[in-house]
Amino acid sequence: MSRYLYEKDLVAMKYAILISTRHDRLVREIAGDLGISHQNLRRYMIERFDMILMENLPARYEAGKAETGNDAPLADALGRVLYTRYIPLLERERMNAILGQVREMIENGTPQEEAVSRGKRLIGEELRP
Amino acid sequence: MSILQSFKNLVRSRSIHVAYVDVGSCNGCDIEVLACLAPRYDIEQYGIYVHNNPREADILLVIGAYTPGWEDKLQGLWEKIPDPKVAIAIGNCPISGCVFNRPHSYVNPPVSKHIPIAAQVPGCPPRPTEILQAVLSLAPEVFKDYERRKK
Amino acid sequence: MKKTVDVSIPIGPVHPCFKEPARVKCETRGEYVLSAECELGYMKKGIELIMRGRPWQEVMFLAERICGICSVIHNMVFIEALEKISDIPVPERGSLLRVIVNELDRMQSHILANFSYCYTIEHETLGMYLLDIRESAMDELERITGARVTCAYIVPGGVRFDLRDEDAVHLRASLEIIERDMKRYIGMFEGGPLIALRSKDVGVLTKESAKEAHAVGPTARASGMPETDMRLHHPTYQKLNFKPVFRTEGDNFARIMVRFEEILQSIDLIRRCLDMLKPGPIRGGGIPSAGETVYRGEAPRGELSYYVKTDDAGRIVDISVQTPSIMNIEACTHYMLKGVASLADVPSTFISADPCIACTER
Repeated sequence: MSRYLYEKDLVAMKYAILISTRHDRLVREIAGDLGISHQNLRRYMIERFDMILMENLPARYEAGKAETGNDAPLADALGRVLYTRYIPLLERERMNAILGQVREMIENGTPQEEAVSRGKRLIGEELRP
Repeated sequence: MSILQSFKNLVRSRSIHVAYVDVGSCNGCDIEVLACLAPRYDIEQYGIYVHNNPREADILLVIGAYTPGWEDKLQGLWEKIPDPKVAIAIGNCPISGCVFNRPHSYVNPPVSKHIPIAAQVPGCPPRPTEILQAVLSLAPEVFKDYERRKK
Repeated sequence: MKKTVDVSIPIGPVHPCFKEPARVKCETRGEYVLSAECELGYMKKGIELIMRGRPWQEVMFLAERICGICSVIHNMVFIEALEKISDIPVPERGSLLRVIVNELDRMQSHILANFSYCYTIEHETLGMYLLDIRESAMDELERITGARVTCAYIVPGGVRFDLRDEDAVHLRASLEIIERDMKRYIGMFEGGPLIALRSKDVGVLTKESAKEAHAVGPTARASGMPETDMRLHHPTYQKLNFKPVFRTEGDNFARIMVRFEEILQSIDLIRRCLDMLKPGPIRGGGIPSAGETVYRGEAPRGELSYYVKTDDAGRIVDISVQTPSIMNIEACTHYMLKGVASLADVPSTFISADPCIACTER
């Protein structure tokens, strides 16, 4: 009995969590927001998250959405707190770098809405394999 | 019968270690097994000790309808239990899958496909007294004269 | 989650202290726990997938079997969601009986949770006392509903059986005994110096972390969040003047004490219900119709929410269940266990959040 008893491929079970009604709706919503396909987002989540965090994603998303307004307005629009603390898709440093790029775009004359949506695309780029 | 054998029979009749494993139930049978520990039913007065440690167990109580997570684990757990050993299925789930054995579910009952089951206690969930009686009536069948019968 | 150190200690799935299989992987430096993960997949039955396309008469029994410990509240929330979709009224006696059964269920669930904690910190005496008193609550549950676990007492438009007068007398007598003994056990737990050593300042969950993980139930209320109690929004509980109990320490001790105090509060609520009971019908009529809704109720472990979508024939088209243990186990593994000083505190901290894996995975 010297083989690893406890390590086993968990992808199938993690996928089974992500296809429930609430999780599916959440994954599609985030994927639409960040402009990547939901398959890519699912794969990213399966690689990064442990199973209990995955089960809890809808509740965390709900809590994160309710928490907006405490951060800087631009960071809020980009979803800094939401995507780094509540749904930990990105490291905070990487998020701040993207935020800096968005600020730069706005200073260079891009309208804020377009800059934010381009910033979200950048977050999506990070998640692509 | 040798003296040693009768001594072993005497000791084994008052010292039964029980482990339980939940392979995907609703928890209802779990708490009924736990309720056996309560002073009301007092499982320890019969010399049964519930410790949930497979390495020193004699009887394994299997609860639940066998989910995919146990595919590589239940067999290993069964092998860890030293002989003489016996497994009892508690509740409807390990016997038939109960309400979970429907199209689209993940369960794969009965558990007897995966490990040998010696006795079954049906019920959803069975009462603590029924579980207690199953353990008590099965134990002498299995452990009495174990060495002599093995020969 | 990123690997920070090379020592990863797995606990479970079969562990003497865990009632149910879960695997907690702790990354440690010495005995100090740096981070923890929880992997599931031992109880995934796919109940939501089975429920789809079935008539509500079947789904109601499946809903109960999501969790055997808190089966009454699963039954109640599912049926009340159906009632909300189809505007089925409930007679007053029926709604009060629902609260009585629900509170009895909450009492036995809290006593079981506290028993598990006492058993985990090896205080077996108190654990056995608690398990003994739990049988009184189970007896009352059986006397009213006809079954100990999974009793399917609540049906659309009311409840299945009436409470007979002699049962009400017996229930009051049992509550008297439970209250007297429970106060003694609470004193034992509160005053025990060794219990305090194992429980106080262990596994602290701050209010911020509790908000982040969306913790609910006694876990959140021990961290100073009384507003998470869904009973505040339930019409019958509003009539009973319900006030949630809460503490602010957020450690293991506070979580267990919140449960103990809620047991006393449940006894009080049942007494008030019994006083308010007037003779009358217990079950009205009604036909489930098409619609969809999200309905939330307070399970013993916290906020339980059902998303239900039905069609004209009363079949369940789509359903999604969010059980309280999901949030509490998450809060436990990612926030409480972080910084636990010794590995011996890991099982006790995990149990103090009252994890129910069967709920979590469904």
